[in-house]
Amino acid sequence: MNDVLRVARTHVLTAVRERITLFWFLIFPLLLLVLLSAIFGQIGRSGGMQFAVSLVDLDRGEERAFSDLVVRLFQTLASNEEASGEPLFALSLPGEDEDPTAFLETAREELLRGQRAAVVILPNGFGDAVLAGLGGASATPDAELRVLYAAGNAASEMARSIVLQVLARVDREILERAGRLDATTTVRTETSWVGGAGEQASYIDFLLPGIVLMGLFVNGLFGIPGSILFARERRILRRYWVTPLGVPRFLAGLSIGHVALCVVQFALLYAVGRFALGATVSFADAATVGLLVLAAATFMALGFVIASLAKTGNAGMAVANALNMPIMFLSGLFFPISGLPAALRVIVYINPASYLAAGLRARLGVDAATFPTALIVLVPLAWVAVAAVLVAVRMRWDVER
Amino acid sequence: MTPEAALRVKNLCKRYGEVRAVDDVSFEAGVGTVFTLLGPNGAGKTTTLEILEGIRHPDSGSLELFGVAMDRVGRVTKQRFGVLLQEGNFEQYLRVREVIELFASFFDASRSVDEILEMVALKDKARAYVKALSGGQKQRLALGAALVNDPDLVFLDEPTTGLDPQARRNIWTMTDGLRRQGKTILLTTHYMEEAESLSDTVCVMDHGRIIAQGTPRELTTSLDRETMIEFAVGDLDEADVEKLRGCCAAIRRQGELLTVETEELVPTMEAILEWARLNEVSVRNMVVRQPNLEDVFLSLTGRRLRE
Repeated sequence: MNDVLRVARTHVLTAVRERITLFWFLIFPLLLLVLLSAIFGQIGRSGGMQFAVSLVDLDRGEERAFSDLVVRLFQTLASNEEASGEPLFALSLPGEDEDPTAFLETAREELLRGQRAAVVILPNGFGDAVLAGLGGASATPDAELRVLYAAGNAASEMARSIVLQVLARVDREILERAGRLDATTTVRTETSWVGGAGEQASYIDFLLPGIVLMGLFVNGLFGIPGSILFARERRILRRYWVTPLGVPRFLAGLSIGHVALCVVQFALLYAVGRFALGATVSFADAATVGLLVLAAATFMALGFVIASLAKTGNAGMAVANALNMPIMFLSGLFFPISGLPAALRVIVYINPASYLAAGLRARLGVDAATFPTALIVLVPLAWVAVAAVLVAVRMRWDVER
Repeated sequence: MTPEAALRVKNLCKRYGEVRAVDDVSFEAGVGTVFTLLGPNGAGKTTTLEILEGIRHPDSGSLELFGVAMDRVGRVTKQRFGVLLQEGNFEQYLRVREVIELFASFFDASRSVDEILEMVALKDKARAYVKALSGGQKQRLALGAALVNDPDLVFLDEPTTGLDPQARRNIWTMTDGLRRQGKTILLTTHYMEEAESLSDTVCVMDHGRIIAQGTPRELTTSLDRETMIEFAVGDLDEADVEKLRGCCAAIRRQGELLTVETEELVPTMEAILEWARLNEVSVRNMVVRQPNLEDVFLSLTGRRLRE
């Protein structure tokens, strides 16, 4: 047993010590997770950055009710009392003793420095103006709210639409209160945020299982042929074969080492996804763990298929590279695969990653199942069987003469 | 031959397509001796060794290891083997100590890692990565990995090829030490100095066949010449060489180097000097020596070991 574990240890050590391997196995999936969630996650309701919005109330007029209403509306949305998701923005107001004018100056500077996305100003006499507007016959109110954005700032661009949405509500509330508008006939402005997957799932919850599978995939597809083929042609394997260590025990060690690498990779991705990016999916049940093990085994099997067929390490890496993109992108790991041309759908249907991705997401409740459970298990197992046969028949464990 | 043989090989054959890599090879290596296969590249030495190491299977012939006849070399037999491969490698990102630990784990019984590191003088490199080692250090590490199980039969396949003279001498010293510990050593080499100074028995191989076998002394005396006179000359016409042939029968020419074989040193030497004076040939670096294994190989095949 000791020999098997030593081989496993060797596999792990050589993988984590070689910088390029370490990058592809650990850093790259991690980077992709963080990058994708940073790019798409902020559009969704959770997992992204928040917009910092400052609100300054300069209204010193007699009628304060409307100004108070605006402040309260902003506060409500910022404190997330009614929404189920996370607040749309972080609101800062001047303190009790703070001079509003000075606060405004600071906020304006912060806006210019990119630390604020928007500054909303309630000008003096806002309430009076609203009242006057409601009393008058004019359809457009005289009252004016001033909003400052930073030009050329992406966060400001996004904040603008959010603030506009809030202002639309302000408008509606005021009209409702004044009895000028029947709420039921108002055309409501509904804003939907794209990027999320399902009703409940946030993007990070959709993304994390995909990245976890991608990590296992890259591990198997590159790691297995890499360690077998290069070790074979550099006659590292031959050194093993002149000792009592046989192929079965070497394979056992290699597999254990591979699984250990997968576990480390999963733990890292999960920790970052959960604690840094706010994922809520839990992988802690038997069926999910089973699916992950099946995924690791299937992708390892794909690696063995390559290792059995390729003559040299470089050829093996080239094949892995060629297979990498179609298998990964035609599997729904990153985006849905409906509506593809028929030729590409064939790849989807023989691709074990499709079934594993769908199965895992359905299991985690972040997407509806697109394949029957039996297929989710059987197609990957078929690949494992194909690999086992190929290894037995075609694999060369030593350099040819 | 020694009655007690660690290894007996009979009528071993291995073909690769049309090429007979090993052609009806038979020999036996006595316990505690250094048995050497000497021959040029492609003579079949390594293939013979690989069959004995269990990584290739012969087309025909019989094997007997430690008194047990077998078709294939299995796990149990390999427990007693120590193999230093030609051109073997280790994972670049393993540390020296980890390599020895790895190989120690393959055997039922092994020496302690420190003992091995001490033996191959790599103690101060224990934490170094394989990729950071010099050629000589790598070869010592390979030897350490080969000796980790305290083997009875040690295979050394071209152990000094590509090493600098210092590293080569180290390997020779270690090989000699192993023999004194009573190990049987099967060595292949194409360096005749190596074969001559280390071997108890030498098998000269060429084109897959054994063409001569015996102790180095037996092989060199089989030439019937007592003395070799070797010297360099400048540009020389074939006619001049023919003139020399008139007085000394056995002459070999290899570029600038002329070798004259003789049983009568003084008259031959005088004849050569006379010939040089008459023909105005400048003779340089004249050496008088005993015949060596290179001469044996040359007289058997008409070629040198390294060509």
